[in-house]
Amino acid sequence: MVVAPAEHGRIVVEGVSKSFGPVRAVNELSFVVEPGGVTGFLGPNGAGKTTTLRMLLGLVTPDSGVARIGSRRYADLPTPAHEVGAVLDASGFHPARSGRDHLRVSCTLGGLPLRRVDEVLDLVGLSDAGTRRVRGYSLGMRQRLALAGALLGDPPVLILDEPTNGLDPEGIAWMRRLLQGFAEQGRTVLVSSHVLSEVQQLVDQVVIIRRGQLVHHGPLAELSGPDAHVVSIRSPRTEALTAALSAAEGCRVERAGPDRLRVTGVPASRIGDIAFAAGVMLHELTPHAVGLEDVFFSLTNATGTDSDPGVDPPGGAVTCGR
Amino acid sequence: MWPLIAGEARKVLTTRVWLWLLLAAAGLTILYAVLTMAFADTPDALTAPLTTAEGQRTLFAVGGAAAPFAALLGAIGLTAEYRHRTATITFLTVPHRGQIITAKLIVHVLAGAAYAVVCISITTAVVPPWLASQDISIAVPARDLFATDLGVVTSVALFAAIGVGLGALIREQVAAVVTLLIYLFVVENILTNITALHQWTPYLPGQAQEALIGSTLTNQSLLTPWQGGLVLTAYSLAIATIGTLLTAHRDVT
Repeated sequence: MVVAPAEHGRIVVEGVSKSFGPVRAVNELSFVVEPGGVTGFLGPNGAGKTTTLRMLLGLVTPDSGVARIGSRRYADLPTPAHEVGAVLDASGFHPARSGRDHLRVSCTLGGLPLRRVDEVLDLVGLSDAGTRRVRGYSLGMRQRLALAGALLGDPPVLILDEPTNGLDPEGIAWMRRLLQGFAEQGRTVLVSSHVLSEVQQLVDQVVIIRRGQLVHHGPLAELSGPDAHVVSIRSPRTEALTAALSAAEGCRVERAGPDRLRVTGVPASRIGDIAFAAGVMLHELTPHAVGLEDVFFSLTNATGTDSDPGVDPPGGAVTCGR
Repeated sequence: MWPLIAGEARKVLTTRVWLWLLLAAAGLTILYAVLTMAFADTPDALTAPLTTAEGQRTLFAVGGAAAPFAALLGAIGLTAEYRHRTATITFLTVPHRGQIITAKLIVHVLAGAAYAVVCISITTAVVPPWLASQDISIAVPARDLFATDLGVVTSVALFAAIGVGLGALIREQVAAVVTLLIYLFVVENILTNITALHQWTPYLPGQAQEALIGSTLTNQSLLTPWQGGLVLTAYSLAIATIGTLLTAHRDVT
C-alpha cells in the first residue's frame, strides 16, 4: 500500500482552457482535489469533464493553464503507473484479447511485475473471467477490468471517468466500499459523473462544472443549502404571481402548466406571504422534498439555455431577484 | 525502452492477427513460386528463363510477397489502438508517445523480418527440389542467393515500418488497410504498366523492393539492389517519422 504525503497526491487544475474548433469545452477552470477523500467531478454531458480529465492526464494539450498531479504535470511523472491510476474509457479494450492478457500488456509496458495481474483481477472480482476474451464481457465487467488496470501500479491517486456506468446497484455498492477504502488509506480519488444520484453515496466532496466553468466546489453536505426549496403552485393569476415573486431574493419561477408554477429558492411559507400581500389567490401550494439531484440540476441548468443558446425552452423559465 | 518493446510484442502476440497474416504471406509466396515455376519458360513470361541465374534468383526471391502482409500487420497494429480505443491506456501507461511508437516500429520491423524468414524457408525448401526434378542445375552463385535472402528480410521488415507509419497517419483502420491493399496490389501495377512512366516507376516502393531482392522482370528496368534498398529505407523512414511526430502531438480524445 502506498500512503504518500498530502502534497504528493494533490490534484491541481490551474486556469485550464481548451477549445475544439469554435467550441470552448473548458474555460479558465481551476480547482484542487485533496488526498484522503472521494471527490465527485460532476456536470451534465458536454460540460467538459472528460476533456478536463484528459488534460490532467496529458492526453489533450490545454490551450492555456496547467494541470498537475502533486507538483508535476502527468507527462513529467517518472513512473506514471506507480503514481496515478486512471480509467477514462471503459470500452478501451481489444475485443480479441483476454482480460488477463490486456492487463499483462499494461503491466509489461508500465514495468510492473506480472504477479500484479492476478492480484488486481482478484481485487475487482474478475478472477474467473480473466482468461475469457473481452468481447464476451458485460459493461459492468469491462468497468471492473478497467478499474483493475488502473490499480496495477497500486497508485496513490485514482481518477475515474463515469465508473458507475453499467454497474448494477450491487456493483455501485461494491465500488463505494472500494473507493472509500482507498480514501481512508490516504489516497486521492476523483470520480466523474453526469448523474449525481449515482455517485451521491460515493463522494464526500464535489466539484461541479457547467459549460466548462466551475459552478460549485465544496463538501457534498453544503449542496443541500437554503436554496433547496421546490414548491408547486396552482393559481388562476399566474402572471401577477410571477411578477410578485420576482421581487423575492433567490427565487426562480417556471411555468409548469396553464395555471401552474414551479418555484425554487424560497420556502412555501414565504410564497404564501407574497401571494397574500399581492392579493393573488392560491389553489394549491405544495412544498416538495428536494433531493440533491434538484440542486445539482438547478446549478447545472442555471438559465435553461445551456445546450441550445438562443432558443427558449418550452414553458419559459425566469430567474429573478438576483 | 525494453519494457516498451516487450509490451508491444505482447500486444502483437495476444491476438491472432499475426498468424492469419503470416499464413496469407506464406500462401502468396507458395502461389508466386508455383506460378513462376509453371510459366517462367513460356514465351510472354515476365521473368527470365529458369535455366538462367537471373530467372532462378527471381524465383528464390518470391518470399518478398510477405511485404504487403507485414505492412498490413503494422497498419492494423497501430490503428487498432484507435479502433478499440486502447490508445488511451497505452499513452497513460507511457506518456512519452515518441518512445512507445518507436517500440511499436521496432516490434513490427522484427515481426516483418520473421515473416520474411518463414517465406524464405518455404522457397528454400520448395525451389531446389523442383529445379532438380526438372534437371536444371542451380546457376545462382551462393553469394547472390544470400543477397536475395537478405534483401527479402530487409524489404519485408521495412514494409512493416511503412505500415505502422501509414497507420499513424491515417488512424482509421479500414481506411489504412484499404489504402495499403489498393496501392500495393492495384495502383503500383497500373503505374508500372504505363510505358511513359518507366523513367519514374523504379522509384515506387514495390519496384524498389524488386530491385533490393534481386528480381529481374523482363518488362521493367529496376534500380540496382543498393539503390532499391536506399529508396525503400527513405520511404519507411519518412512515413514512420511523420507518423510518429503526428502521434506525439495530436490530442487523444
